[in-house]
Amino acid sequence: MRWFRFAALLILATLLQASFFADLNSKPDLLLILLVFFAIYCNTSDAIITSFTIGFAADLIGRTMGPQMLSFGLFGTLLAYLHQVIAIRKMTYQSLAIFTTALLAGTLVYFLNLIKGVSSPPNICAALFGISLYSALVGPFLFLPSAWWMRIKINRLKPR
Amino acid sequence: MLFTWFTLTGFIFLFSPQNLTNKFQFAFFRFFHWPLSIGRNISLFADTQQPVGDKDVVSRDKYEQLQNRLDNVIQQRDEEHKKVETLSKMRNIPAWDRMGFVLADVITVSIDELRSELLIISHNDSDDCLTKGQFVLYNNSVIGTISDVDGRSAKVRLFTDPSSKIAVKIGDSDDLLMQGSGGNQATISMAKHEVNVGSNVMAGKKTGLLDIPMIIGKVVRCEHNTEPLLWDITVEPVSNIQNVKSVTVHIIIMNPPK
Repeated sequence: MRWFRFAALLILATLLQASFFADLNSKPDLLLILLVFFAIYCNTSDAIITSFTIGFAADLIGRTMGPQMLSFGLFGTLLAYLHQVIAIRKMTYQSLAIFTTALLAGTLVYFLNLIKGVSSPPNICAALFGISLYSALVGPFLFLPSAWWMRIKINRLKPR
Repeated sequence: MLFTWFTLTGFIFLFSPQNLTNKFQFAFFRFFHWPLSIGRNISLFADTQQPVGDKDVVSRDKYEQLQNRLDNVIQQRDEEHKKVETLSKMRNIPAWDRMGFVLADVITVSIDELRSELLIISHNDSDDCLTKGQFVLYNNSVIGTISDVDGRSAKVRLFTDPSSKIAVKIGDSDDLLMQGSGGNQATISMAKHEVNVGSNVMAGKKTGLLDIPMIIGKVVRCEHNTEPLLWDITVEPVSNIQNVKSVTVHIIIMNPPK
């Protein structure tokens, strides 16, 4: 794992999410896409570290600290273990993985925010669905530049 | 083991006091102030308004600013009339003259279905010019209140944020509670009277923070509640808060501590 490259990519994604994408109503979650990318293409221990670190970055630009770190960490780790059993190589599977992870992670963040006393919008389901859908649509295409930057071979089209 | 330690750290962050954990967020925004501004400027560039050619026509932004000013002045005039009626021979200082303002720059704008928030940094050199609860204005209208402060930086919770609750008045009504509903709207649930679409919604007076009612939004919908004789009112901001991204715009905070 190239940690300096990971740090640079994470900072770039965090800054873009906090500035460029911050005021769009419909937007992909770049950090969640990165979470799925590293969960799929790293070994398990690296995937755990990257998941929690990405969650921490999401908390830095989020409303409160903690919920996303826990949520991203948990689902990133689960996805990394799942990937050992089921290979997530095709773009459609990757989209599905992003969509499901976004929904589950978003739901856990919602409940953790409730514990912390942060109220959520009435249309939380629609908002979560929107973010998950946009992330799933954009995510697999961002895997290619991310893999190039991280010097990871993704072998997407080759049969296993 | 790795997972356990990270989870423990996450729970520590989760259950730590928010004013403590906020320091991490403010430190991040201060450290990356410059690249964040660039990101915002790129976003703004795509949304650049066309210059207005006709000298008799003003931009939408300027129009909103002037319209809000007019609504505020009318409201203020009505308030002053009431005072004059009751205290006719006493000396009175116009409310606007009693207010203090602090200018602030917007670092980031987060407006979506889940939250509506600004991160600002004040122009004032003093670290204690911002306090929690102060009202934030843009184009002469209230857009929200300060929710967290760290030195010269602060988070502004817009009134459309789901966790925002602000006392408001519509016309001569009693105080109503307006709650944000995400996106670009807020709702007043179970109002006792029907109101006209387009009516001005004024943020109610708050001692030490807001001396006079100020315009905050306009009614865009008034529908029957499930309970008979009660109404649900939907309110939208009078100023296009998306425009707060404009680099020349400053946020004004009322009544800073002297």
